[in-house]
Amino acid sequence: MSNKLIELACIIDDDDIYINLIKRVIETKKLCENLIVFKNGKQSIDYFQALLENLDRDKIPDIILIDLNMPIMDGWEFIEQFTKIKNKFNKLITLYIVSSSINPADIDRAKSLNSIEGYLVKPIVINKLERIFNKSA
Amino acid sequence: MVQIIKPPKPIDNVIGYLELKNNSILCSKVFLSDIGYPAKNKEFSLEFFLSKLIHKDDSKLFKNNYFNFTKNNIDFRQSMLIKSKKGKYKEFVCTTNHDNINFNNKVAKSKFLFFNKRKYKTNKKVKKSQFFYKETAEMTSTGSWYVDLIKRKSYWDQQTRRILEYPEDYKPSVNKSVLYYPKESRELAKKLFLRCSIHGESFNTEIKMLTQNNRELWVKAKGKPVFNDKKQIVGIRGVFQNIDETKAKELSLQRTSNIIASQNKRLFNFAHIVSHNLRSHTSNLSLVVELINSTESKDEKLELIKSIEDITSSLNETIEHLNEVVTIQTSTNKSKSQVKFSESLKHVKTSIGQIILKNNATINSDFSKVDTIKYIPAYLESILLNLVTNSIKYKHPERDPIISIQSYMENSRVVLEITDNGIGIDLDKFGGKLFGMYKTFHYNKDAVGIGLFITKNQIEALNGEINVFSEVEKFTTFKITF
Repeated sequence: MSNKLIELACIIDDDDIYINLIKRVIETKKLCENLIVFKNGKQSIDYFQALLENLDRDKIPDIILIDLNMPIMDGWEFIEQFTKIKNKFNKLITLYIVSSSINPADIDRAKSLNSIEGYLVKPIVINKLERIFNKSA
Repeated sequence: MVQIIKPPKPIDNVIGYLELKNNSILCSKVFLSDIGYPAKNKEFSLEFFLSKLIHKDDSKLFKNNYFNFTKNNIDFRQSMLIKSKKGKYKEFVCTTNHDNINFNNKVAKSKFLFFNKRKYKTNKKVKKSQFFYKETAEMTSTGSWYVDLIKRKSYWDQQTRRILEYPEDYKPSVNKSVLYYPKESRELAKKLFLRCSIHGESFNTEIKMLTQNNRELWVKAKGKPVFNDKKQIVGIRGVFQNIDETKAKELSLQRTSNIIASQNKRLFNFAHIVSHNLRSHTSNLSLVVELINSTESKDEKLELIKSIEDITSSLNETIEHLNEVVTIQTSTNKSKSQVKFSESLKHVKTSIGQIILKNNATINSDFSKVDTIKYIPAYLESILLNLVTNSIKYKHPERDPIISIQSYMENSRVVLEITDNGIGIDLDKFGGKLFGMYKTFHYNKDAVGIGLFITKNQIEALNGEINVFSEVEKFTTFKITF
């Protein structure tokens, strides 16, 4: 087990059940100190932008797990918007896609994006999640 | 036994004719000598005439004309080849006695056919090649034509007349050329002719023509400019071929292929939906199982088992939605019947009366242009219900919803349009996903993202189309083409 814990992780997903389960995993495995959850890309972008305006740059998460299929603003659009502002935070932010899509088109698209650290296909394996959080810490 | 009515001399000597009596044909001397038979062979049977004298290419048409003339008094004019005793074909123009030829001041009681030798004799070589040309033209249903741009005259061969169902003596006219095309292909015909006559561009196209009997006909038309010595364009020469049967097959094949393509697209879509929507539930289930295995605490295990309940109930819901979609695909041959738009709307209004009342919504409808449609009644209701409730659901916060519904014809298809004054949809952003499953674009809590998906499926399953027009904050219009 690692010695340093991630301070703030972020999950963007519209599936309530998934969020509850992943919360539980993170809690029981103590993968991070704090967790913040958004139901779609728009909510989170709005939040991040507010952080920038209020100069609360420290409150930006270290790791973001984002779903692809979401209402209002989907994962792809979030990534596009987020890439525009992420350099304004003085922090290394790791982005993972976590999606139930096994569509090769989605996987290839994710690979082509530099801002994406990896593509995790649901169901998430707990061990793998642990490794990712430890690596990012 | 056979009586020959003898017309007065000058006629008998100048004109070849046949007198038609019962089943026999009596010939004039001149006609007999024209074809090299002795004057005493005055009587022929129709069968002899058809099988031995007339060229086989002309005999079918002649037979038709002959019976129409004898039975229905329909006059005709036909040019034909007739075999002489020596076995050579001579060209005659055959006309009927519609002017009631007067013999000795007595109106003839019998019917007569007059045979005039063709005035312009073509030399033998030309005749021979003409025979092959005729054969080719007939077997391939190809007619040829010429438009003289200087004299502003147009010329057709017999095959052209036959294809376009004009009589043998019909003279085509440049000024009336619009008659030969149905409305939809006039523009194309005009364009091709102008380009050819002005720029010398030859053409090769498939176009619909119109016969004299107003029958539409697909032809393959080719044309090229004709130049004089000074290289000026003086005319257009061309051929056209009757391809109506082939074209009909091609069009029906195209239709079938379109249907298959759309079915395939729907199936593909469906497979994608199934895999994606079911996967999200199964992956949740896997995660739960993994969590149960990784924890030691009994209470926690029990709690996790409880969450399986949530997963299964949403899995059920998804499967119900999918089932609904499958039902649409398989019930396209459900019985259609004449449905009144107003009736359907009435049912919809009754079933969501509370919602309409609560939101103070106004629904205006105008079905005066088209009031009924042959459709699956349940589908029409479901489509109206989905679109009307959508309009109310996404009403503008600052005004009461007003929904206008109207029907009309467009390109001989029935169109239903539903317009609201709601918040609108940003089509640049969401246009592509609007009709997807589980796509919602608003923060409304009751947005499920299944309505428009089902609506689109219902419409497309019956070969219709749905399109959307919208301006954010102003309006949304759904246009359904049945």
